[in-house]
Amino acid sequence: MRRAAWLPIAIAAVAWGCASAPPPPPPAPVVQAPPTPDVFESPDFIVVIPKTPETSASLATRYLNDVGKAWMIEEFTGASSFQPGQQVVIPRKDWNPAGVTPSGYRLVPILVYHNLDAQPKGRLVQSAASFEQQMRYLKAEGYHTLTLAEFLEFTRLNRQLPRKSVVLTFDDGYKSFKQFAYPVLKELGFTATLFVYTDYVGAGRNALSWADIKALQAEGFDIQAHSKTHGDLRRAPGETAAQFEQRMHAELAQPRDLFKRQIGQAPDTIAYPYGRWDADVLKQVKATGYVAAFTVRRQGNPAFVSPLTIHRSQIYADMSLDEFAKNLTLFQEEDLR
Amino acid sequence: MIGRRLPLLAVVAALAAACATGEPERTAAPTTPPGPPPPPRAALAAPYNERAQALEADGRLREALQARQIALTINPDDAAARASLAALQARIDEQVSAQLKEGRAALQRGAQVVARRHFLAVLALDPTNRTAFEALRDQTPDVEMLSHTVRAGETLSSLASHYYGNRALGEVIAETNKLAPNARLAAGTVLKIPEVPGVTLNRPGARPPAPRAPLPTAPGAPTAATPAPVPAAPAPPREEPAEVNPLLAEAREAVDRQDYYQALSDLDQLLASSPKNTDALNLKKQVLYTQGKSQLDQKKYKDSYATLNQLARIAPGYEDSATLLRQTRTRLVDEYYNSGIRYYREEKLPEAIAQWKAVLEIDPQHVNARKNLDQAERLLKQLDERRK
Repeated sequence: MRRAAWLPIAIAAVAWGCASAPPPPPPAPVVQAPPTPDVFESPDFIVVIPKTPETSASLATRYLNDVGKAWMIEEFTGASSFQPGQQVVIPRKDWNPAGVTPSGYRLVPILVYHNLDAQPKGRLVQSAASFEQQMRYLKAEGYHTLTLAEFLEFTRLNRQLPRKSVVLTFDDGYKSFKQFAYPVLKELGFTATLFVYTDYVGAGRNALSWADIKALQAEGFDIQAHSKTHGDLRRAPGETAAQFEQRMHAELAQPRDLFKRQIGQAPDTIAYPYGRWDADVLKQVKATGYVAAFTVRRQGNPAFVSPLTIHRSQIYADMSLDEFAKNLTLFQEEDLR
Repeated sequence: MIGRRLPLLAVVAALAAACATGEPERTAAPTTPPGPPPPPRAALAAPYNERAQALEADGRLREALQARQIALTINPDDAAARASLAALQARIDEQVSAQLKEGRAALQRGAQVVARRHFLAVLALDPTNRTAFEALRDQTPDVEMLSHTVRAGETLSSLASHYYGNRALGEVIAETNKLAPNARLAAGTVLKIPEVPGVTLNRPGARPPAPRAPLPTAPGAPTAATPAPVPAAPAPPREEPAEVNPLLAEAREAVDRQDYYQALSDLDQLLASSPKNTDALNLKKQVLYTQGKSQLDQKKYKDSYATLNQLARIAPGYEDSATLLRQTRTRLVDEYYNSGIRYYREEKLPEAIAQWKAVLEIDPQHVNARKNLDQAERLLKQLDERRK
């Protein structure tokens, strides 16, 4: 009988150690453990027939070892909660990274914000309230905000993204990002990329300082280049080849060195000032070592977008929520059959 | 005792194994009450096999392949399904290589829109096909498409003539819109008009001015009676309005608040790094002019003179700035001269001398100032000598 006393404890201890099995089984007889689902596996798929109600999150945690991959189950099955006995197909890997189907191809919108303030002013100073409304809209609609790295992986056919994905970018380096955008983004769990032109850092009354930028970088915001002076990069009439080369060195290479000194990391992407570029600028941007560059052409990006002319859509202060949402086109229909 | 102990140990072992592999279903614990037996694998897989067949018949080969893979995930021993999968895979491979070939051929003859569609079709069949992906990325640049709604009487050739200035390119419009080369166009049909590399696309925005709204005409005056052809719906402008340099924006804000000092400081900062920034230069001229004029109105002649002089250095003929500069110069000279007189009367000779010197700095030809200055200096000298 002495043995009978430790055995249940041992069983309970082993069961307790099974941290991944929800819910944690109480120290109770084994016969009450939840029934295990039927599972079929192959290299590409797992088919589960749950015996208790499940969600995309619980299944992603258990079978993909990553709750962050719940979207894969949702998008493959079109559902996020599953009843006992219902078959659930879980894709084990990316099944369509570029998102091209016989009816068209997916697009990832990239939005551009500039300055925010309590009150809107002109087209480029947006009210904090309207910005917040737009962010809450994205959240309510189930959008994922991507890091630039995630987006670039998509453009290299190396990563499938959730269908509702968007990249948020902020140009120039306004202090208002800290005051108005940062708290909203943090609350919603959103990330963003800042394209900062180095002459502005710590300069204007409304500019972020290097200390601000360093702190934002530490918080996970991506800091990228936007030239040195925010001048139009295209070769000016009358500018000699040598003058152009020299100016491009200042506009493209110097910011990389300065970033490296100031925040320990050289940017590898750049947003063209005013969104303007031409073939000569592209060459220089590439030669300087930038792997991607961003325009302000108002359209979404297919996976196969040309990396040095990635499209972005500017959000203006006077846009209604409807007009804002028009910049979120996620699919380009084209009959490919 | 032993008979009772073994099953319990087995349960402990089974649970431990479940933990280790994360696949508890593979190690059924003997004491778990048996649930209803799972349906046979073949039955579970059947819907996926049926779906695969339907999708394949519909030409959605990739989705068919997935359905077949799912069926085989459930029932890996289904030889028939495995054979169908292999056949489907072969069919996909065949189509992929045919589409790649056509895509390359289209690139060769410069039909980028067509090439693009072949490469897209490859990716729809084979989502990780790098050849097609890279061709799309590197060899079929963003093809711009205009949208055109056909009006009665229009033909492929007339559209080509209109958009490309070349009737022969009607073929390109036909190909892009999957029409026969000599297809008749039904009014109301929406066609895509692609950009053709090397050909200037006649965009609606770039056309000769659209017919203007009729101007109010005097009664009896003849009305213009040549209705220009109605242009297609204007496409959205290709170029976005440019964003504004932030320092320039700040300078403009400062101008709005009439804080010219701040505006100039912002502009000078901007011009230090981009001396040729036209917007900044123009705004600076405007700010200097407005500031100088307002200082003149407020009778701050000294400030006004300095501001307008600065303007004269960068833009001598700006608006009526030359006249303003003359006015403020005259007033400033008078001001200095008169205060010199005032000091002189108050017997404050050094102060009077300073004022007249200031006059002569601005206007070296000022005769009275010169005369008064000389007299004041002589007087001062005599006074000094008397004191000795």
